[in-house]
Amino acid sequence: MSQEIDFDEILTKYRSDPYNYVDITAPHTGVVDFLVEKGNGVDAPSGEWNHIPGTPLFQISRERNEKTITAPINGIVSEIRIEFQDQFVEAGEKLLTIRHPLKKKEIIESILKEVLYLFPAPETAKFFFAMDIQSRIDQKGAGGVTIRPGDEAFTMSLMKRDTPIYYSGEEGVIHSIYFKPGVSVPQGEPLIGVCRADKLPLIQKVITRVKAEWDAI
Amino acid sequence: MASYPTSAQLRTHIELVETVERLECWREDQARRILLYGSFVGSIIEHHFSLDRTMPHARAHIRTLEEKGISIANGTVFLADTLSGPKGRFTRTWHAPAGGLWGSMIYISTLLPRYRMLAPLAVGIACCEAMRAYGAANAVIRWINDVLIDGLKAGGFLAENFTGHNSGEEYCLLGFGINVNNREFPSALDHIATSLALKTGKPVDLQGFTTCFLAKLSWNLGLLYWWEAEELHRFSAAPDELEHPLISRWKDLSDALGRRVVFGFDVQTNPQYEAIVQSITGDGGLRLRLDDGTEVVEHSGEIRYLD
Repeated sequence: MSQEIDFDEILTKYRSDPYNYVDITAPHTGVVDFLVEKGNGVDAPSGEWNHIPGTPLFQISRERNEKTITAPINGIVSEIRIEFQDQFVEAGEKLLTIRHPLKKKEIIESILKEVLYLFPAPETAKFFFAMDIQSRIDQKGAGGVTIRPGDEAFTMSLMKRDTPIYYSGEEGVIHSIYFKPGVSVPQGEPLIGVCRADKLPLIQKVITRVKAEWDAI
Repeated sequence: MASYPTSAQLRTHIELVETVERLECWREDQARRILLYGSFVGSIIEHHFSLDRTMPHARAHIRTLEEKGISIANGTVFLADTLSGPKGRFTRTWHAPAGGLWGSMIYISTLLPRYRMLAPLAVGIACCEAMRAYGAANAVIRWINDVLIDGLKAGGFLAENFTGHNSGEEYCLLGFGINVNNREFPSALDHIATSLALKTGKPVDLQGFTTCFLAKLSWNLGLLYWWEAEELHRFSAAPDELEHPLISRWKDLSDALGRRVVFGFDVQTNPQYEAIVQSITGDGGLRLRLDDGTEVVEHSGEIRYLD
């Protein structure tokens, strides 16, 4: 985490372009059939457990196995590579972009993700805190819990197989928790955001400043 | 002290009984190869009069041997007549008096991740097959691997990964608790648990049952390796119409399909939603249809039947 944060630069960036651009890529090789056009609005997954899929974006067909890919986030289709319609594409090929309007909370989260140390999920699975960490969080709140490299931090649960996950980032306090027990976390997504204790006031300053500045816009 | 099989007795049983039974459905070369893949099960069988829990004992065993620079035998099984501090998942208690089959196995998985996912299914299938072989014809599996007889739990399993401090080797500890001859349960478990002896109405030969269970575990874990080898040999995943034999077997033995259930990561303390079980996916996930028609696939959590 850098010592100094240029608030003005960060806020100017989000003021001038308060969007997140999410690229949607081909999950595997196959022939593409688009179901949306540039400028279409798309909805994110919904329902109590996010179980209702988002707007269908395209179908990709490989060996007669047709798969519909849906929007992971709401927004507008800002770019679409229509030249790939009915064409065979490679896995990972970018097919369209969704422009997602950021809310204040998302902007704060985005900034925090730039300044905190993010510990990622090693596999797509469900996670819960190790008993020791959980009891300390219960007593002091997450912000009062210091975590060190080598600490048994989580249990990863997949197919009733529990795996202890050891923390390997910088020592600090748990500032943000990005998972809920019982909800799957995709591989690579952050589980927690950790901040060095001496940097906590700075982080709080970021949040306060963004809240104030964003309301003023 | 209860009698349990030695590793040599298990090998003999596999050769004389398990192989012959499997030949009813499998070609001999396939069956022998599958059992060869699973032959690590019970490579060492260590028996104790009483332990606190077998999982911590297995961890301590690994730690001790690693500190001495000694390799750990894959498939080492620890059995205890009774457990003084048994536990289930989360903070649940488990009752482990004399008469049950309580133990853990050290499993050093060399499977690729997509094949390793199914290992927890294998242990439930092995238990269900053994219970049926010992007279409980209506033993069934509830996803992921609980074994029930007439709706009451008779077998439960835990899988915990563990990394060796010295070696960095990844071990999976498969824990099993099977109600065999024990007939009494604490009041909290009385309405949800049963045993093989209670359901069949007669005492069970515990040594024979243990041998049968380990032999079937050998087969079902062997299937994982065999199928992985077959797919790697073909240089591609099996076509959709070719189902993993472990998934097929799970379907044969489970009563979950089509049932109305409540799902939760910890369903007893935090039930999340109700749904109908549609199918089990190729990687062991449970496909559920919610009341609004949407379908979800869960790879972690548990269900309880509502119908």
